[in-house]
Amino acid sequence: MNAAKDKLIVEGLRLRADRQAIDESIGAGEIVGLAGLDGNGQERFLEMLAGLVTPAGGSIGCRDDAGRTHAINSFRRAVSHGVAYLPRDRRASGIFPALSILDNFAMATVTRDCVAGLISYRRRRERYDHYRERLSIVAPHPREPITTLSGGNQQKVLLARALALQPGVLLLNDPTRGVDIATRKILYEVFRELSNEGMALVILSTEIEESLHLCDRVLVFRDFELASRLSGEEMSADRIIATMFGRDS
Amino acid sequence: MSERSATTGSGYRLARAVQRSVFSSAGFAPLLFVILLAINVWLNPARFAPAAWGTLLGLAAPLIGAAVASTPAFLGGRGGIDISVGPLMGFVNAIIVLVFIQMLGVSSPFVIVPAALLVGVAGGVVNAFLATILRIQPIVATLGTYLVLVGATLTILPAPTGTAPQWLSQLAGTWSILPLGCVFLVWWAICRTPYYDQLMAVGSDDRAAYTAGVPVTKVRFLSFVITGLFSGAAGLMLTALIGSADPAVGPTYTLIAISAVALGGVSLAGGRGSVIGAAIGAIDIFLLQSALTYLNVSTFILQISYGAILVLAIVLTALQDRYMEQRAQRAGS
Repeated sequence: MNAAKDKLIVEGLRLRADRQAIDESIGAGEIVGLAGLDGNGQERFLEMLAGLVTPAGGSIGCRDDAGRTHAINSFRRAVSHGVAYLPRDRRASGIFPALSILDNFAMATVTRDCVAGLISYRRRRERYDHYRERLSIVAPHPREPITTLSGGNQQKVLLARALALQPGVLLLNDPTRGVDIATRKILYEVFRELSNEGMALVILSTEIEESLHLCDRVLVFRDFELASRLSGEEMSADRIIATMFGRDS
Repeated sequence: MSERSATTGSGYRLARAVQRSVFSSAGFAPLLFVILLAINVWLNPARFAPAAWGTLLGLAAPLIGAAVASTPAFLGGRGGIDISVGPLMGFVNAIIVLVFIQMLGVSSPFVIVPAALLVGVAGGVVNAFLATILRIQPIVATLGTYLVLVGATLTILPAPTGTAPQWLSQLAGTWSILPLGCVFLVWWAICRTPYYDQLMAVGSDDRAAYTAGVPVTKVRFLSFVITGLFSGAAGLMLTALIGSADPAVGPTYTLIAISAVALGGVSLAGGRGSVIGAAIGAIDIFLLQSALTYLNVSTFILQISYGAILVLAIVLTALQDRYMEQRAQRAGS
């Protein structure tokens, strides 16, 4: 890990006030997995990185290309400093069922379609087409409601929405949940490409195989503490499961 | 595969999308509009002759204005509603005629129009503050302003009085298209800004809007301010029509405007519908009123028919929605 290329710097972060603090840094081009039994703090950790949950202690900083560090203390600040978050439950907190595919895509970046203060639908369409191609979104006319798409394609539109922010850090909360195999493969490929381009990715996954397949290293959480960091040879399904259940030491 | 079907079928898809957007944005109001218009023209051709359109539109204008004004607050969702639209129109009416024309002797449109809009915006800001910053339920917050405005109007103006200047009266006659046209132009411009997309997103699902980085509170705040601005404009149209200051007329517009909005396919839960739909709903109610008045039907029967048509239209829209949803799910899975 090269300190100059760190994107996210976590210092003394506490998931709960009475738990051990976490120091961690996530570098450019890294794919970091978060694992743990459900409700052991890994989701809260991700939400803290996104600025959605206020930490019980410590700080999170995001370093820009010029090397300055900005504290992340709200979701809005996180977004403005290039940290994008893809929520877990796309039906409850992701898509807008009443809106079109195009509007669903553009929602996080509406101001980028403006020409002299007014929205240019052509520009929005062009932006969408770029990501449609990149993520191979299979969709009818972009003016159709988003609910006409399959779950996998809805997820791709949400990913496109996050990518349209052109973030330096992408936080993914169980991105392949309820997604078919073909779409999964495409998503994995895209994640690798993004990391090759220098984006830092943090992926919370409920499937250990997925973390092993995709991530450079895995952070395993137990009881709202960081139980261990696994990478290289140590990264195996057995090891992760043992850590999750606290049988590792 | 999808590429090819998108290009060969694009014309068809576009036509279908346009058809759907008119229907889903205005429910059954356009259909009702055609039927009611035909009945009216058949009953009373002279009243609906082209030469009388100016006056006719002037008669309908305050209701259309009130319906349009009510819409933005609804679109913001999570119980967004402004029931103080009617009393605000009445308050604007009283301020203009009583304070500006009678007391100050000012009758220039360059003073009166901005003053009316400013009073409207001020009312909207108060509602916005109560409903989005203090987070009082919008129906309770605007009920408060409703009562305050009714009381304030009656205090400064216990009985009808005064006359409107001539330029203003003409805005309810020959030039009745002008104020409505301006309101639609402003809304059209709003629809082309990022704000409109954000408003629809907030109304559709505010949690999803928050995680997509939409400033939810700011967007809702502004929706009440826009409602206030349009209420000010509707107050001008009301003044133009009645040609004097009358404390009793304004408040009657609130409920009828809400009926028009619902009839026009605007979801009272937010995130769906359009100002055009609300306007068509208002015109429907006006045409119904016009036809039944011509037939000398009592006003009580008139009220019954408003209610019946409203419920029927909403049931039909709900059925249509369910059908669309099922079809979308079939297509999705």
